[in-house]
Amino acid sequence: MFLTRSEYDRGVSTFSPEGRLFQVEYSLEAIKLGSTAIGITTSEGVVLGVEKRATSPLLESDSIEKIVEIDRHIGCAMSGLTADARSMIEHARTSAITHDLYYDENIKVESLTQSVCDLALRFGEGAAGEERLMSRPFGVALLIAGYDADDGYQLYHAEPSGTFYRYNAKAIGSGSEGAQSELQNEWHSSLNMRDAEVLTLKILKQVMEEKLDQNNVQLCCITKDGGFEIYDNKKTGEIIKLLKEKEEEEKTQQEQDQQQGEDVEMS
Amino acid sequence: MKSCSGKTVPPPPLPLEHPSAMSQPIEHQFNPYSDNGGTILGIAGEDFAVLAGDTRHTTDYSINSRSESKVFDVGDGIVISANGFAADSTALVKRFRNSLKWYHFNENEKRLSLSAAARNIQHLLYGKRFFPYYVHTIIAGLDEEGKGAVYSFDPVGSYEREQCRAGGAAASLIMPFLDNQVNFKNQYVPGTGEKRPITYLSVEEVVKLVRDSFTSATERHIHVGDGLEILIVTKDGVRREYHELKRD
Amino acid sequence: MAGLSFDNYQRNAFLASKTHSNLPKATSTGTTIVGVKFHNGVVIAADTRSTQGPIVADKNCAKLHRISPRIWCAGAGTAADTEAVTQLIGSNVELHSLYAKRQPRVVTALQMLKQHLFKYQGHIGAYLIVAGTDPTGAHLFSVQAHGSTDVGFYLSLGSGSLAAMAVLESNWKEDLSKEEAIKLASDAIQAGIWNDLGSGSNVDLCVMETGKDAEYLRNYITPNVREAKQKSYKFERGTTAVLKEKIIDICEVEEEQVLVV
Repeated sequence: MFLTRSEYDRGVSTFSPEGRLFQVEYSLEAIKLGSTAIGITTSEGVVLGVEKRATSPLLESDSIEKIVEIDRHIGCAMSGLTADARSMIEHARTSAITHDLYYDENIKVESLTQSVCDLALRFGEGAAGEERLMSRPFGVALLIAGYDADDGYQLYHAEPSGTFYRYNAKAIGSGSEGAQSELQNEWHSSLNMRDAEVLTLKILKQVMEEKLDQNNVQLCCITKDGGFEIYDNKKTGEIIKLLKEKEEEEKTQQEQDQQQGEDVEMS
Repeated sequence: MKSCSGKTVPPPPLPLEHPSAMSQPIEHQFNPYSDNGGTILGIAGEDFAVLAGDTRHTTDYSINSRSESKVFDVGDGIVISANGFAADSTALVKRFRNSLKWYHFNENEKRLSLSAAARNIQHLLYGKRFFPYYVHTIIAGLDEEGKGAVYSFDPVGSYEREQCRAGGAAASLIMPFLDNQVNFKNQYVPGTGEKRPITYLSVEEVVKLVRDSFTSATERHIHVGDGLEILIVTKDGVRREYHELKRD
Repeated sequence: MAGLSFDNYQRNAFLASKTHSNLPKATSTGTTIVGVKFHNGVVIAADTRSTQGPIVADKNCAKLHRISPRIWCAGAGTAADTEAVTQLIGSNVELHSLYAKRQPRVVTALQMLKQHLFKYQGHIGAYLIVAGTDPTGAHLFSVQAHGSTDVGFYLSLGSGSLAAMAVLESNWKEDLSKEEAIKLASDAIQAGIWNDLGSGSNVDLCVMETGKDAEYLRNYITPNVREAKQKSYKFERGTTAVLKEKIIDICEVEEEQVLVV
């Protein structure tokens, strides 16, 4: 490690001769250790879902908070060192409320994301002489979902490197690789909210080590009229039930198909 | 000193607030404000709004300019005027233009709505709560539904959306006229005792009211005159009209 | 009892210091007045705006006052003072002329004015241009509120005096003809009308030629006629509603049939 990485992984804002910032790259690794979080946009709203990884059977699962409200029209899911997200969320909430104060309107989802990403780079001194706020880059990534009148439903992925991209559907965290390819297969523009909810849980179920139930996942949605809404255990339970029914359906369908295939062979 | 009747005329006593009577030191102070006269007027219609101002710029009894615009089209279908102390007016409009530019940068070229502009101006004004911009500010444009809108502000940022508002030197002369002719105050439907119902006025009718307001104010207020500039905001953009006013 | 009453002076000063000093203000210090001499006479002129603060109180007031048929006076300052002092001295000049059995002289009027104004130490806010013709010739003077006087071939007073003097200084020459003097005086007043906010509306003029009656030309120039309004503001009859009606019988009316034979 010491030999290969040389000295350049020490200073947070020192480039390596190959032009890399190792500390920033490591921070991206920290996210890959985090629990999976998924976001899906539809024409009716945006759905966010996270896996709540319980480290002990004695842990109160309600105390794990990985989906939070930023403003009535914006919500956020996280993965990685969730403690780092606290200051990001506080900054985001301040930005949203300040915008409402100064302009008497909802902040755009993109502007909000930009504002959070500006903060992500404050592990170094700013070009305009801003003081250094943190000793290291954030160890957490966010999925920021929201609605605004200008661009409709949106989902952004904000990284510790300070970059952000807009997605139709995105997965982050330990199961993100498998989840993202599944999203690529399943996402289409005519999904409705119910489809998105079920799809979120279906993918989470696939990538989770534990057996999925209403205590170890959390869902939320953002809609134009309802705003941000976290699903309680009962509502999550109903969607899990729906997922199971769908799976049963698919299973029987598959069996029938198989049967038919065999029948054809027989004849 | 004797008068014809033999009674003495008493010398006028010193007024009580006179420095020598109070034996207090006289304090000299720099006055950072002045009044540059002029008057402005905004009226909202159903699908348009107008904001008008005269082009006379004065101090005391002198005319500094007969052609100084004070109503500005700042873009995004917003017109603004700040009337009173001209230096503060210039500074405020400049800062608002700046703020609008930053809004476009930060919000990805989003169009600033009139209500957002109003809230923004409130903060520009209140930011100088203890050294205020000495101006009466009015903005006009269309709201998010496309209806005409006028917002007016006091010098420290208290604001309200209104159907019409006059500001500046001749505001007290024009405002009662507007109450009567725009909101039909003190008018009744003949023979019924019912108040005359408020109806929207056409843009032609509103421009007539604006022109008559300004020619009348010119007659009776010495700080109003020379030229009248009217900015008319519709969904198609901002149009400008200019009319001469009396120059005496 | 002659003289002014200072009875309420102290009370008003006290009130002014106690209240928010919304006490009534006397009308107008803004004015342009001029006087110009010519080879056998003198002309005076004035604008016709009277103001109360920034408000135009009268769009066509008369600032040219007659002291005697051939002695006229243009007044700037407090409107009430210029009128009162001019009438008072006018009366006294007439009495003096009757007593002396002589035509009134401009210097007499001037001496009476300055003595009166000096006595009141500037509290009578009258700033006057006194001009006229008498058996000794044509004369042009000015008096300040405190009682000082000036003599000149051309004079201007009032808030527009600087604008007017600019014209007088650039265009005046010796031995002007009557027409030239009239043109110069009215141009000077117009400089005040256009450039001084305290002055406006029309030009009044009075020409006094030696051995002739004075010519008073009220509204000699009217360059500020108001344009027609865009709209008619006639209200339909009944627009002002009768909200309440109450009839009080002030006295009993007895009706009786009277037979006319």
